[in-house]
Amino acid sequence: MATTKKYWKSFDELAGTPTAQKLAQNEFAEEIPVEDFLGDDNALSNSNTSRRDFLKYLGFSTAAATLAACESPVVESIPYVVKPDAITPGVPNYYASTYFDGNDYASILVKTREGRPIKVEPNDMAAFNGGTNARVQASVLSLYDSARLRQPMKGGEAMSWGDVMSSLRSELKKANDSGKEVVLLTSSIISPSTKEIIAELGNQFTNFRHVSYDPMSYSNKLDVWQNILGERALPSYRVENADLIVGVGADFLANYTGQDVAKAYTDRRTPGKDMNRHIQIETQLSLTGSNADKRIKVKASEHGAVLLHLYNTIAGMKGGTSLASANLPEEKKTMIEGVAKELANAGSKALVLAGNNNFAQEALAAGINRMLGNFGTTVDTNTPVYLRQGDDKAVASLIAGMKSGNVGGLITWGVNPAYSLNGFAEGIEKVGVTAALTDRIDETASKFGYQLPVNHFLESWGDYMPTSNVYSLAQPTIRPLFDTMQGEEVLMNLAGIDGSYHAYLKGFFAAKVQMAAPMLSWNTVLHDGSAEVPNMYAASEAMGTIDMNAAASAANNDVKSAGEMEIFFYQKTGMGVGNQANNPWLHELPDPISRVSWDNYATISQADAERLEIATKANSMGAYDGYTVTLKVGDRTLNGVPVFVQPGQESGTIGLAVGYGRTMVGKAGDNVGVNAFALMSGDHYATSAEISEISSDRDHGFACIQLAHTMMGRKIVNETTNDVYMTAAPQEWNELPLFETFKGKMGPDKVNLWEDHDHETGHMWNMSMDLNKCIGCGACVVACHLENNVPVVGKEEVRKHRDMHWLRIDRYYSSEESFAADEEKVEEMSGLWGENGSLGGFGELEKASENPAVAFQPVMCQHCNHAPCETVCPVGATVHSKEGLNHMAYNRCIGTRYCANNCPYKVRRFNWFNYKGNEDFADFNPSQDEYGKMVLNPDVTVRARGVMEKCSLCIQRIQYNKLEAKKAGKPIEDGQFTTACAQACGTGAITFGDVNDTNSAVYAAKNDTRAYHLLEEIGTQPSVFYQTKVRNTKEA
Amino acid sequence: MHYEAPIREPLIIGDKSYHDITVDVARPIETAPPRSWWIVFSISLVMFLWGVGCILYTIGTGIGVWGLNKTVGWAWDITNFVWWVGIGHAGTLISAVLLLFKQKWRMSINRSAEAMTIFSVIQAALFPGIHMGRIWLAYFVFPIPNQFGSLWPNFNSPLLWDVFAISTYFSVSIVFWYVGLIPDFAAIRDRAVRPVTKHVYKILSFGWGGKAKHWQRFEEVSLVLAGLATPLVLSVHTIVSMDFATSVIPGWHTTIFPPYFVAGAIFSGFAMVQTLLIIMRKLFKMEDYITIQHVEMMNIIIMVTGSIVGIAYITELFIAWYSGVEYEQYAFLNRATGPYWWAYWSMMTCNVFSPQLMWSKKLRTSLMFTFFISIVVNIGMWFERFVIIVTSLHRDYLPSSWSMFSPTFVDIGIFLGTIGFFFVLFLLYARTFPVIAQAELKTILKSSGENYKKLHEQHGDH
Repeated sequence: MATTKKYWKSFDELAGTPTAQKLAQNEFAEEIPVEDFLGDDNALSNSNTSRRDFLKYLGFSTAAATLAACESPVVESIPYVVKPDAITPGVPNYYASTYFDGNDYASILVKTREGRPIKVEPNDMAAFNGGTNARVQASVLSLYDSARLRQPMKGGEAMSWGDVMSSLRSELKKANDSGKEVVLLTSSIISPSTKEIIAELGNQFTNFRHVSYDPMSYSNKLDVWQNILGERALPSYRVENADLIVGVGADFLANYTGQDVAKAYTDRRTPGKDMNRHIQIETQLSLTGSNADKRIKVKASEHGAVLLHLYNTIAGMKGGTSLASANLPEEKKTMIEGVAKELANAGSKALVLAGNNNFAQEALAAGINRMLGNFGTTVDTNTPVYLRQGDDKAVASLIAGMKSGNVGGLITWGVNPAYSLNGFAEGIEKVGVTAALTDRIDETASKFGYQLPVNHFLESWGDYMPTSNVYSLAQPTIRPLFDTMQGEEVLMNLAGIDGSYHAYLKGFFAAKVQMAAPMLSWNTVLHDGSAEVPNMYAASEAMGTIDMNAAASAANNDVKSAGEMEIFFYQKTGMGVGNQANNPWLHELPDPISRVSWDNYATISQADAERLEIATKANSMGAYDGYTVTLKVGDRTLNGVPVFVQPGQESGTIGLAVGYGRTMVGKAGDNVGVNAFALMSGDHYATSAEISEISSDRDHGFACIQLAHTMMGRKIVNETTNDVYMTAAPQEWNELPLFETFKGKMGPDKVNLWEDHDHETGHMWNMSMDLNKCIGCGACVVACHLENNVPVVGKEEVRKHRDMHWLRIDRYYSSEESFAADEEKVEEMSGLWGENGSLGGFGELEKASENPAVAFQPVMCQHCNHAPCETVCPVGATVHSKEGLNHMAYNRCIGTRYCANNCPYKVRRFNWFNYKGNEDFADFNPSQDEYGKMVLNPDVTVRARGVMEKCSLCIQRIQYNKLEAKKAGKPIEDGQFTTACAQACGTGAITFGDVNDTNSAVYAAKNDTRAYHLLEEIGTQPSVFYQTKVRNTKEA
Repeated sequence: MHYEAPIREPLIIGDKSYHDITVDVARPIETAPPRSWWIVFSISLVMFLWGVGCILYTIGTGIGVWGLNKTVGWAWDITNFVWWVGIGHAGTLISAVLLLFKQKWRMSINRSAEAMTIFSVIQAALFPGIHMGRIWLAYFVFPIPNQFGSLWPNFNSPLLWDVFAISTYFSVSIVFWYVGLIPDFAAIRDRAVRPVTKHVYKILSFGWGGKAKHWQRFEEVSLVLAGLATPLVLSVHTIVSMDFATSVIPGWHTTIFPPYFVAGAIFSGFAMVQTLLIIMRKLFKMEDYITIQHVEMMNIIIMVTGSIVGIAYITELFIAWYSGVEYEQYAFLNRATGPYWWAYWSMMTCNVFSPQLMWSKKLRTSLMFTFFISIVVNIGMWFERFVIIVTSLHRDYLPSSWSMFSPTFVDIGIFLGTIGFFFVLFLLYARTFPVIAQAELKTILKSSGENYKKLHEQHGDH
């Protein structure tokens, strides 16, 4: 019945009358008088559209068109014609992958939005190195670096991949036929499949060599451990088992063997009887040294002697054989003996870590660890770490070969030796065929015949074996942006292997990995990012012997050869070896210790600076200016090195960071700092360096974001010792300020001028910062920078103290030997003048100690529940939320900066310029770069000029998760999401959550006896709170 | 007729008739300006235009062209604002408060003092505008109906109180000033020969006829406006001081600020009046009306208010010590001995020590010395605001954020521009407006004029 339904327009049509049928033939039911009008010339000429009317219409339409054009430009967004299954606009996708750039290794999650990777996050399921440091966090911007090479080149001409590869193959063949060597020079390679490809490549040539090269070499350490492990690898350190850690020049929390030990270290920093103790003996104030319970300054040349003296003293106590007596001054010997005693007491629960790239020092450290019985407890010799592969001897012989003309073909991949390796650039000319697998025309590639652009790691497949029992995969998260090829695929092509690397890798996985670990499936490993595999390391019984006497005399020789000044090369926590020297986020990240951004410099002690009259000084706008000098090490010189006074630096030594001074890296990174590699040879220090050609005035400007360095005896970082923490009542070491009121003494959270906001219903977002776990590494700062589209403002603006970081890590030095002594000094002040007078006293407190205690404190918007900023804003642009947050309505802000003035924490950041449009910022602000702007987080507004901004506690994440929870119809679970900073923090120092959820971690943290609010006595009632820093001063 | 004791010094010197006063007051308007006027006017105009350029550069590029940073969010902008508002206090005080207290000596100076007030409030009002990051949205601060829903300004914010206080003060001052000008404009109108001039002054004088009714209304309006303006003298700077007093920043968070600011404002206002009038009486040959006695009276006010300011400074130091708050104590130690010690001691020297010299009759009746001190006081009062704003901000709670401030050429250019603008307005005023309230002045000629006083002495009451 239903199918016979008939629709009709009139009864005539229903009845089917002839009229209706006739009408149905016509297009229009009624005749339209077009012909009548247009056909009649007479009528047309008489119609009165006068000239006036014409002009009116013309005028109107012009005006209308003009008005329509006044609209802001329309940016077309094209919807998917066929939407990919995995992509929903507005919903991020996460892919597990692996980051390894030859230096840093991390198991990561890549966040993509609409197919674009926009953030790198740590992978909770990581089998090894789950934390992300600042460099890994920043790496996503390197993908969108417009300085990347976009197509293959030969001799400066762009060519297609087909042509360039066939040309290269034939040239290499010619070189091989002439009997010369073909060399592949790479960074450390830990990919089993790549190693196989390289082996295949080697089979193509009669005389082939693969040389691994690390710019910051660990080759001599590897030589030591090769004797012990039987394999060229470093041991794993089990810091979690160590009650006492002694670092001798080892910056193990930031830049060491590649194994991430920060989490294991901070897990043992929880105060209580299990808290570890950390002693650092070093030249340069490192990130690790800043976290130490006790820090001893020694010269760079004394590291070996220190280890030797430790060895001898412990041997004496344990009844072992002593070596030659250490060549050290008596007072240092006494200090070292104290350390040795503690080490002996700690028994097998101690760990000695030596820095540098020095055979003798590493041998002595290994010897001490072995003597103490640490092998098997804190030094794991069963799971070697492969992250450092560089071989100094092979590199030296390569350079010799190049210079003698024995190298016929040279392929470099992922290294820039013309920049970082002395003598390399001079040898290039004599090499017949040179091909650089590179991401840009850098210092090396520019001198090479072939420049072959390789994929960024976010565009690549890969597999890695960081340790003997972990296998991980990397997967591309975007199609290559440019006409680039994966490095492995280039090598496959040269080796004559057909197909894609992806296929090769899958084949390798099936054939080799699953063979060894049958329980693994490709999809599972790809999904999880990494997997544990059965330990591939076979402990070799036939260990080599190390000549300890030779080590002892080498250690003593260092001291003998020491000049008046020594130099120590280090890696900045942000820049590392400089693999991402064109990454503006890393340049803008202030060094955690010196707080200087956009620079490297020679650090010297105050005493030396005064002696040489080269002290840094702040100018009238609060920016530091310094002298520049020429540094001379052996026959190598480096001109124009700025000098920065660094508390904690041993007198008679200079510190200089590597990774800077690039000339061909890109607009952001070119000519930032000086190239320390130019002075370096193998080891990380030189026992003699000269300072000469001091500039006539302070001609170098530093972009140091901290002008004052001490806490002035104020209770900003609340601190106590582990003994006091365990024995005394909390009120004694974490005193809550009390106010006298008519109702009796009350805490600042109870004394109110205003009505309280309702914080009982709904969520109440709080954040806890554990100052014992914060090591100051700055990963959170970079994470915040990219999560929230914080502008990069460049050196000149940072110099003017206009850095835009929403989250900063304040670093304080003590003025006396400890912060407690600083506070005591303030308490003992009496009167204005005299010995204890406050006039002189505060002036003294401004000066940092020569060997200061250091404290780090991350500070972002404290989200005060009685916020000083909220009351003063004339337009209500900053208001309080019911959930304990302090909101910033950018659209409403008129930029009076009153809020920033009235903020006791000085966390508000003003948009002084139009950072996304002003040409002055075009070279480094990603939002001005055609590619760089693709990294912007689409969930966060890019702020306009003249607007105040600040930490929002990642409101975009809060809202997203609230909506998700609402859709799912269930409450938000604790830990379901967190802020960018908390997520990036590798040590778990930051806890974020809802304190109205009594099961949450942040609720527990808030009720911890260590919890306190910053500047509590002002009555701001912040939603962010800190956990008292506890130092372990008890000698083991 | 009001009787004045013979021992009082005459307020009008010389053998003056009503006509003489009219002629003397009208002379600058009716004669061509001398070369010196053109020189000063040109310099002022160039400074003004330079300032306009700097302001346009700021608005076009961003507040970043100033020397501010994340720690010091206000510096020269608000220093200049408070300085100019402070200067703007003397006029209303002279014309309103002294009117209510029946101080006759105000009559020869109130016109110019009030002109100064209005012109300096105009300078002051510039700064809250241009210091905004987004000046094009400045209307957000007004409680006007809008399409954003029920979106109002934040009535808790002292900055909003400023908006109301300044705009009220400015409008009341300008009305008060204008009302006083009406009979004088009429006098100029009546004397004018050129038709255009006559027409202009005719419009300006609102058809003043000099009838008894007119005079009665004039008196009443003046009294009412004086009553309205008097509380404003106290309220404006009180509210300006609350920008600082209601904050939590050590050095700002001080309850002494309202009276201290008001005293300081009067102090600086009178100094500026001295600066202007000492030059004007000479150039316009008005020594007979603006006498040494007037100068002395104002010097006494400067001395008294300067002492109040001095006591306030010392009280601040005492309270900082007495409070026991470490941040507060450090803030004041830092002011006196920190990196900006020179600003603090400039302020102390100029504002506290120099007015004390006025205890000497010889010095306070010396024109050269008065002129010198008036400049010194103005410099000192500028430093006072700089000290309060910059030295409090640059080192507050967390040493990690401590910073310094150094002005850029734009900061300096805008300040010079407002000085130029002020003098452009004042110089134009001096050639077009009757600079002495001659109608009012004539009311005391017979009681306080020198010749009449002499006659009175010789002939008694008839």
